[in-house]
Amino acid sequence: MTVQPDEVVVTVTVNGETVRHLVDPRTTAADFLRDGLELTGTHLGCEHGVCGACTVLLDGRSVRSCILYAPQLDGCEVTTVEGLSPVPGELHPIQEAFRECHGLQCGFCTPGFLLTVHEFLSETKGADEDEIREAISGNLCRCTGYQGIVAAVQRADETWQR
Amino acid sequence: MAAVTGTSVRPTAPPGLIGTRVNRVEDARLLAGRGRYVADVTLPRIKHAAFVRAWPSHARILSIDTTRARTLPGVVAALTAADLPPATLVDGNWIPGLAKTPQPVLARDKVRFVGEAVAIVVATSRYVAEDAAELVEVDYEQLPAVDHAGRRPSGHVPILDELPDDLIYDRGESFGNPDLMFRDAPHVFVKDLALARSMAAPLECRGTVASYDPAAGSLDVWCSTQSPHLLRRRLSAASGVAEHRVRVMMHDVGGGFGQKIAAHPEELAIALASCALGIPVKWIEDRRENLMAAPHARGQRVHLKLATDDDGRFLALRARIVGDAGAYSFNAASALIEPYITARVMTGVYRIDHYGYHVAAGLTNKSPVAPYRGVGFIAAQTARELLIDEAARSLGIDRFELRRRNMIRPDDFPYRSCTGLVFDSGSYLEALTTVERMSAYDDFRCEQEQARASGRFIGLGISPYVEPTGWGTEAMNQIGWHSFPSNDSARVSMDISGKVTISIGTPSQGQGIETTLAQISAEVLGIPLDDVVVSFTDSSSAPTSLAGTRASRAAVVSGGAVGLASQDLRERILKVAGALMETDASILTVADGVITDPSEDAASMTVAEVVQKAFQLTEIRSAEPEPNFTATRFYDPGATYGNACVGAVVEVDPQTGGVRVLRIVGAEDCGTVINQVVVEGQFIGGMAQGLGGALLERLAYDENGEILTTTFMDYLLPTSTEVPHFEVEHLESPSPYTWRGIKGVGESGTIGAPAAIAAAIADALAHTGSTVDRLPMLPEDVRAMVEQGEDRG
Amino acid sequence: MKPAPFGYLAPRSVDETLELMASHGDDAKVIAGGQSLGPLLNLRLATPAMVIDLNRILELAGISAHDGDGLTIGAMTRQHDAETSPAVAAACPLLAEALPYVAHRTIRNRGTIGGSLAHSDPAAELPAVVTAVRAEMVIRSRSGERTIPAEEFFLGYFTAALEPDELLVAVRVPAVPARTTSAWQEFATRSGDYAIVGVAAVIGLDGAGVVDRASIVCSGIADVPRQLSTAQSALVGQEPTSAVIAAAVAAQHTDPPADLVGSSSYRRHLVGVLAQRALEAATERQEGNDDRPTG
Ligand SMILES: Cc1cc2nc3c(=O)[nH]c(=O)nc-3n(C[C@H](O)[C@H](O)[C@H](O)COP(=O)(O)OP(=O)(O)OC[C@H]3O[C@@H](n4cnc5c(N)ncnc54)[C@H](O)[C@@H]3O)c2cc1C
Ligand code: FES
Ligand code: FES
Repeated sequence: MTVQPDEVVVTVTVNGETVRHLVDPRTTAADFLRDGLELTGTHLGCEHGVCGACTVLLDGRSVRSCILYAPQLDGCEVTTVEGLSPVPGELHPIQEAFRECHGLQCGFCTPGFLLTVHEFLSETKGADEDEIREAISGNLCRCTGYQGIVAAVQRADETWQR
Repeated sequence: MAAVTGTSVRPTAPPGLIGTRVNRVEDARLLAGRGRYVADVTLPRIKHAAFVRAWPSHARILSIDTTRARTLPGVVAALTAADLPPATLVDGNWIPGLAKTPQPVLARDKVRFVGEAVAIVVATSRYVAEDAAELVEVDYEQLPAVDHAGRRPSGHVPILDELPDDLIYDRGESFGNPDLMFRDAPHVFVKDLALARSMAAPLECRGTVASYDPAAGSLDVWCSTQSPHLLRRRLSAASGVAEHRVRVMMHDVGGGFGQKIAAHPEELAIALASCALGIPVKWIEDRRENLMAAPHARGQRVHLKLATDDDGRFLALRARIVGDAGAYSFNAASALIEPYITARVMTGVYRIDHYGYHVAAGLTNKSPVAPYRGVGFIAAQTARELLIDEAARSLGIDRFELRRRNMIRPDDFPYRSCTGLVFDSGSYLEALTTVERMSAYDDFRCEQEQARASGRFIGLGISPYVEPTGWGTEAMNQIGWHSFPSNDSARVSMDISGKVTISIGTPSQGQGIETTLAQISAEVLGIPLDDVVVSFTDSSSAPTSLAGTRASRAAVVSGGAVGLASQDLRERILKVAGALMETDASILTVADGVITDPSEDAASMTVAEVVQKAFQLTEIRSAEPEPNFTATRFYDPGATYGNACVGAVVEVDPQTGGVRVLRIVGAEDCGTVINQVVVEGQFIGGMAQGLGGALLERLAYDENGEILTTTFMDYLLPTSTEVPHFEVEHLESPSPYTWRGIKGVGESGTIGAPAAIAAAIADALAHTGSTVDRLPMLPEDVRAMVEQGEDRG
Repeated sequence: MKPAPFGYLAPRSVDETLELMASHGDDAKVIAGGQSLGPLLNLRLATPAMVIDLNRILELAGISAHDGDGLTIGAMTRQHDAETSPAVAAACPLLAEALPYVAHRTIRNRGTIGGSLAHSDPAAELPAVVTAVRAEMVIRSRSGERTIPAEEFFLGYFTAALEPDELLVAVRVPAVPARTTSAWQEFATRSGDYAIVGVAAVIGLDGAGVVDRASIVCSGIADVPRQLSTAQSALVGQEPTSAVIAAAVAAQHTDPPADLVGSSSYRRHLVGVLAQRALEAATERQEGNDDRPTG
């Protein structure tokens, strides 16, 4: 691989693993995760910040990875859907709740919802339905009508020991 | 055809897996971020494509210069129509009177809508491909745009030279004697409704990876599609690669809703580019491309007239429908589908013997239309139900009562509508009554009065409906689509370990097909659910399904085929078991993977043992000379119709025109329920899409016909805060004409919700004397209703 | 939808940033939260040769309260941090009230106060808010620091009074005067969307309950946050009853532009409705409010 003169080095910890990569600075964080690190669980539904499918946690906070650029990740910690469950093959209580409550259909929006909900439930307990709807309103789902997702958040609120 | 009554059966807990709420088997991988969508597919030496797309809506191409693009480092090729074999998209379906105008894979002499693909750039990354696409210079001579079907701008230049008036269809049909009935009718009510263009907008845009191997002469394609076999045919025709050497594969698809049914010009272009270059080429559509250039939907104007007697009995109905086909009429399932279906299903759940319609559809300089969930039904449903409410108001008859007086009754089944639809079974009245109860209609009326007195405006809308599902050949014929036979098979095969793999050509785009088909097969075979998998669709191994997943059909068609194939397989297994257990196979039972001889104590074998023995012991062949545990069955269901009723309660802020949907209730009947989790998901998700169509979603254009809504900042999908909690009840009227009485439900909610919401707005603002005349009803439109009322004093 | 090529620089201090801005001039764009610039880059509506990232400049973030004398909010303060800051709630309740209307939580996690102001989108909430509370913009370049009132900062659609070498470093919000209350009202098609029209209202009363200060600023009806000066003047010297408010609002002429989400007349109508609601809400908050500024 030829190194372009304008490439920059990025050192980033993703799902607990620290990696070092050379990137074209304009590479979006989402493309870096998907193509550079082969973590294809982060999806792109709009690439202009609206749909939330690309949501990941950056130093613990939810962000849109499609309007963040790879060099901006340097020195940061990122959690993607692949890193949500500490044990491979097991689901995180939030993921489990999505399954039990039919919180997904095509699954394309799902990774973004999971990370948004992770942040929300990390901060809140016992939220009512309106609060939950508000908390997930920045993520679009075209399949479910949100009902299963809301139910999943309520379920995870009870089952996730935190 | 056996006559059945429409009595519905309340869902009870049935013994087997069919009818059981089981969690979906596909969820674990999707939740873990291990779904495999087309964007996740990569191959050695793969290159990335971007399209150069037209910015004018109507123009002659004077020249295209790709020199600068080609010389950019990282660019492999920049191809125009001149560089690819001539290929156009047109299908073989035929409807009398419909003019077809094939769509070229890349525009040649003319561009006919904003976003039409003009050239394709292939480069080392999508980034570089986009850089190069900007360097392709296209010289256009702009022409006046036709932005409304049937309207000709000054200096009009036909979209297609051979079609001077841009009309692709202009016909009508009459059933009974509507002229006579209208002439003598005591009351005639009239309604106009315009539906804006909108679109499916699946969260995953379209995408294709094509890999042509010049040595083998084979073309492998991964695609986000609903119809892999249909796509294979089109790819073969365009590329000249024989059909058996074209392989279409698909893993997970991030929603389709109709947009991914047809083969698309871009999909063919990518395959042709791969053939031309001999390397794998990948195109992942972005949202701007999807909103501009992927198929659109709706875009209709309906003019409806209803004749009644003094008691409100419906005497006759007449419809005039104008459809906006977009720039090409390349597919029977596109240009005409909206207005034609609207016309054919207009009479709905009512007994109307006299009906006439006229449909005109014209080309416009916009993206071609294609089916989108609820295609055609929504216009019919919304116009008709709003009109019935207006009639009820004017006649002074309660809206539920007026509907009840005219509805098809349980003892009418099978009921033949005047347009020739034969409704097999259903719970039309019961669904209406259920919604009346769920919405607490009497209490609502009081509440509404009280609210009005305190300056709050709430309204209730109801929307009962019937929809063809399954779409076998018979259903196609009934709707008048004679050249579109249904053709689907499924294969069920058991391996030596006793586990089952199902192979189908109707892949899932989120409908849970992997789960429901596994449930069917596991129940019929008497094995645990976990022992059945539905494999990803690969056109080279899946039995052919020409129509693919569309139109609320997969559960009925593939469900039936899988059920029948599983029955065959079960018989074969039991035959071998009978030989092994030295007993009459017909008395054996099988449950939970264990075959038991009830006549003798505890004589049993597992299915796995039986199959293993059959594979290993040649003696078995005297009982079953062909111990092959693969069964393929074709299934073409009879025409079957699902039904439902949706009720909506909204609050309107008369000052801002803002609408809040407070409640949506629905009673849904899709015959035998395979999995309630999946049915509810389909119904509720469909209603949410319907809400989008009623209140938010519309594609907008400027005066030159150039599209303005090219991002999700402008094309507004409903979010969790616009959508209410849905309350759903299930009714079950199994179909007498399908395997196990299964009906489809995929489109149901989308059909019913817009009319209910529109009617609720009309009800909330009934005192203004204004009516709902369009979808979506944006806040400004709602506010205009209030203002018109104020102007009237 | 991928951005055109750009170079990337991540300075650690304001001084370093100002040097870089001076040397790259028009070719560079600073990126703050990237929640507006990111979409513009991806859509290739912005194609800077160089992107200067402000996210590593710690000195630009943070909120400092000046002991009853207002607040200074660093440009790189995240919108979500401002929204949840007790200091902001106490010293600039209007800002705290308006912030949740800005997009969604995930956008506010990243989006900054300074970015929203520098972006100068007339449909945005924060430009209207800072104009209504008469905040000051603190701007720096290599040649020094200057401060200008919010009113003079917004020049037109996506145009702020910033030279290419100038950085918005902070916004200074004055203390809320006694007996002054405020309210934010907006109407958007969906929650979280840019409002079709938004109204920030600030009302100050004298000891007799008569308006001595009124500030009404709209988003979405002009190329900059638009003050309803006729209505403001009409209120001063009056008791803010519903009827008085209605008369003041009716006297105001506006001429909003039309676009995809609303015609001119619809927007004009919304200005009336929302201004009335905002002024009434602000007035209601005066109740039980003696000297203390409240939300
Ligand atoms: C889906 C979505 C919905 C949104 N909805 C809303 C909404 O309802 N209301 C609303 O107000 N906003 C909304 N926004 C925009 C959001 O609030 C942005 O965060 C904000 O407009 C810009 O802030 P930023 O920090 O992200 O700035 P950036 O995007 O990084 O920068 C914006 C512009 O300001 C310049 N700039 C940034 N900081 C400085 C500085 N310190 N000095 C000089 N120039 C600077 C940049 O060069 C750029 O030109 C939305 C955004 C998205 C993606
Ligand atoms: S892909 Fe990032 S928000 Fe849609
Ligand atoms: S599950 Fe398909 S978009 Fe949400």
